[in-house]
Amino acid sequence: MATYLEFIQQNEERDGVRFSWNVWPSSRLEATRMVVPLACLFTPLKERPDLPPVQYEPVLCSRPTCKACNVDVPALIELFPSFQFPPAYGGISEVNQPAELMPQFSTIEYMIQRGAQSPLIFLYVVDTCLEEDDLQALKESLQMSLSLLPPDALVGLITFGRMVQVHELSCEGISKSYVFRGTKDLTAKQIQDMLGLTKPAMPMQQARPAQPQEHPFVSSRFLQPVHKIDMNLTDLLGELQRDPWPVTQGKRPLRSTGVALSIAVGLLEGTFPNTGARIMLFTGGPPTQGPGMVVGDELKIPIRSWHDIEKDNARFMKKATKHYEMLANRTAANGHCIDIYACALDQTGLLEMKCCANLTGGYMVMGDSFNTSLFKQTFQRIFTKDFNGDFRMAFGATLDVKTSRELKIAGAIGPCVSLNVKGPCVSENELGVGGTSQWKICGLDLTSTLGIYFEVVNQHNAPIPQGGRGAIQFVTHYQHSSTQRRIRVTTIARNWADAQTQLRHIEAAFDQEAAAVLMARLGVFRAESEEGPDVLRWLDRQLIRLCQKFGQYNKEDPASFRLSDSFSLYPQFMFHLRRSPFLQVFNNSPDESSYYRHHFARQDLTQSLIMIQPILYSYSFHGPPEPVLLDSSSILADRILLMDTFFQIVIYLGETIAQWRKAGYQDMPEYENFKHLLQAPLDDAQEILQARFPMPRYINTEHGGSQARFLLSKVNPSQTHNNLYAWGQETGAPILTDDVSLQVFMDHLKKLAVSSAC
Amino acid sequence: MTRCPAGQAEVEMAELYVKPGNKERGWNDPPQFSYGLQTQAGGPRRTLLTKRVAAPQDGSPRVPASETSPGPPPMGPPPPSSNPTSPLVGSGPASGVEPTSFPVESEALMEDVLRPLEQALEDCRGHTKKQVCDDISRRLALLQERWAGGKLSIPVKKRMALLVQELSTHQWDAADDIHRSLMVDHVTEVSQWMVGVKRLIAEKRSLFSEEAANEEKSAATAEENQTIPGFQQAP
Repeated sequence: MATYLEFIQQNEERDGVRFSWNVWPSSRLEATRMVVPLACLFTPLKERPDLPPVQYEPVLCSRPTCKACNVDVPALIELFPSFQFPPAYGGISEVNQPAELMPQFSTIEYMIQRGAQSPLIFLYVVDTCLEEDDLQALKESLQMSLSLLPPDALVGLITFGRMVQVHELSCEGISKSYVFRGTKDLTAKQIQDMLGLTKPAMPMQQARPAQPQEHPFVSSRFLQPVHKIDMNLTDLLGELQRDPWPVTQGKRPLRSTGVALSIAVGLLEGTFPNTGARIMLFTGGPPTQGPGMVVGDELKIPIRSWHDIEKDNARFMKKATKHYEMLANRTAANGHCIDIYACALDQTGLLEMKCCANLTGGYMVMGDSFNTSLFKQTFQRIFTKDFNGDFRMAFGATLDVKTSRELKIAGAIGPCVSLNVKGPCVSENELGVGGTSQWKICGLDLTSTLGIYFEVVNQHNAPIPQGGRGAIQFVTHYQHSSTQRRIRVTTIARNWADAQTQLRHIEAAFDQEAAAVLMARLGVFRAESEEGPDVLRWLDRQLIRLCQKFGQYNKEDPASFRLSDSFSLYPQFMFHLRRSPFLQVFNNSPDESSYYRHHFARQDLTQSLIMIQPILYSYSFHGPPEPVLLDSSSILADRILLMDTFFQIVIYLGETIAQWRKAGYQDMPEYENFKHLLQAPLDDAQEILQARFPMPRYINTEHGGSQARFLLSKVNPSQTHNNLYAWGQETGAPILTDDVSLQVFMDHLKKLAVSSAC
Repeated sequence: MTRCPAGQAEVEMAELYVKPGNKERGWNDPPQFSYGLQTQAGGPRRTLLTKRVAAPQDGSPRVPASETSPGPPPMGPPPPSSNPTSPLVGSGPASGVEPTSFPVESEALMEDVLRPLEQALEDCRGHTKKQVCDDISRRLALLQERWAGGKLSIPVKKRMALLVQELSTHQWDAADDIHRSLMVDHVTEVSQWMVGVKRLIAEKRSLFSEEAANEEKSAATAEENQTIPGFQQAP
């Protein structure tokens, strides 16, 4: 490994881990002085085409409270001196090693052979208060999905509007449904009673045992296998009508989303707890009735904005959020996940409902209409298969983290809930979801990524032996989409270093990209409960401290300030993060902010970084496509720019290029290279559009076009004449003013970093 | 390429297309990719455009020549093609490919598609529940009505012909994949009857494997009972 960059990349590819620091400061005091906490981004199911799962189960440590797996034994012997290999491993020798002992198997996957494998379950919860075109498009997408589901998956249907209808799926005769009022919430037991799920065996059906999970192949009347029910369900979907209750002028339709979700959760709770299931909610507007309502039915009273929330003028918000949080927690406890597909031109209540997706690991998709390519293709991509022909989704994961004794776990940020498992590894200082060493991720896929934060607890006066290494083991139990249970174990180790004498080594092993994303996740996590300006102040303070610690400078001389290569991009990331929709909410609706934050909190490093600081590539006659600074100075007349913000792909033609295109040069054979130039960014954009989930918006614009604002609002405004700024000169952390350019930001930063006053 | 192993070149090309999004219903709606293009994108995703440029540390003044320069830029024509510094084409596949260069082949005949499907249904009658058979039959009738009434587009008819071919050569996975591609790319046209074809493929497949299993069993028993002349039986 020639450089740390290669080391970092290899580790990410092999183990799905990116650490903020790759050489660890050996004492607690020194670790806090590093400013950026010791933390990692971890992708539990990182795609590994070269890693076939092994057909046996992992060997666990014999100590009952430990259960570490025997991967990377030397490190484990350090951690767990009492570890003993069982007799079955007696034949270990240099040439005959089990897979776990070979260093390239720091990540290994085991298949669990025992136990029944229960089918996957998909429960569609469909809003019928849609316009005709929209409902038709949604119906077709759902019919199409029946061809994409695995044949033995179970599928169910609940429709709702003013009332909530649970459809009994049967192959014969007239279709029946159970109707519930949308105004009154019911307990799980009431729902199960009313649906007849707690009655003793009915004569025409199989006897239903008291413990459904022991007989996983029993389906209920409401959840049937796709291969049996697809024809009838196709017809049933085809016959769905718009909600029949008339909507008078000036009113919104009465939509009972809260009760519909509650019934869905209760139905699955009673029939198939603890098995992989997705509740897929399709909604075309906000809940306007019953528990979980987000706005009333009077159109003249708009749905809450950030301004309303700030002024404490959002009547329904607290109560609705509480309702959905209760549902989300129950769903996570049952091992199920909730997806929200919200397609409407106005807000639909994603702010209140976001916990349903965030706590369970379900997806949140936001579009303008079900009759758009954005929704249709995003929905199709849920059923994408990997290189093995398996679905990329997985269910019911529990992540268990163990550390060597010098480290403790402070918490995790991502689509998970705490399992409240205390132990010697658990720190009292919480970052994110803390107080536990185990989390549950009910819905996940091959790119789901958690941020996991650690604390170095080694005391300053307890030296680490020379060459000592710390170790962390990640054990993920989950249900693979083939319904088989698997365990993936990743064991990593890194060197300790004394920060007093080896600061340069620690510096060189800093991963500024991972650090930026991990700090950003912390910032966004805080932003959910703290005031916006406070979060920005905190972020600025951390940045200033980091520059003070690791910058090279002469005191009181800002012009002398330099950062080494491993830190050079970090201030830029922070600059763009401060301007990003994750922390600047007033440019977006509460629903939009919730949507952006939802995706930010679960993507892997590369995609997260794109969200923080969009990618900008320039295409011209002067050479091959090249990355350029995200700055207004990159907008030139003879260039085409491609910008990727993750949520949008923007192609922007400079003024001259646009004029040439208008003049039709691309159609002339002697100017064929111009045709190629125009095509090049389109091809690259297509690569991105073809694969990304969720599907981004696509903006093809040019100089002077109204859509150019998407590019102009993202680039650093270095070319404006705005020099007005003010910053606090008193004590207390200063805020670097919004809408300053990167240069002004950096100038302020350098001044503060070199100043002895801070 | 699509997962369809036996696909002819022109069908493969027709299956890889990009349509524009629905600009009326969704602002900046992205383009729609065909099923073939989407399944092509499976496997580990490599994000190609990931590099960034660091801002210069000393804040040196940037090269000007930005949009704010006054007056329109002098507009000559672009550099002609013989210019050696023409840019590299982007790395993605060609987009928006329409199969214009292929000879227009004669339309698939309705009978060539429906007869084998009806035959397959007949084969399954003993093995499959009556109600299911009736349901499939109903849907095949609907398909026939649509086809005869000119309500099906050419790509749908072409792909149905291919599906029937795969079905008759027992390529169940390929037939299934074609049904899926039709559901994804042409759901409006096919949704009402395609699920019947899907079920038919599944039933024919299970019938076939049952028959194969029975054959194996009967072949095994026949072997047991067989005596080889001149060979002493083991005591």
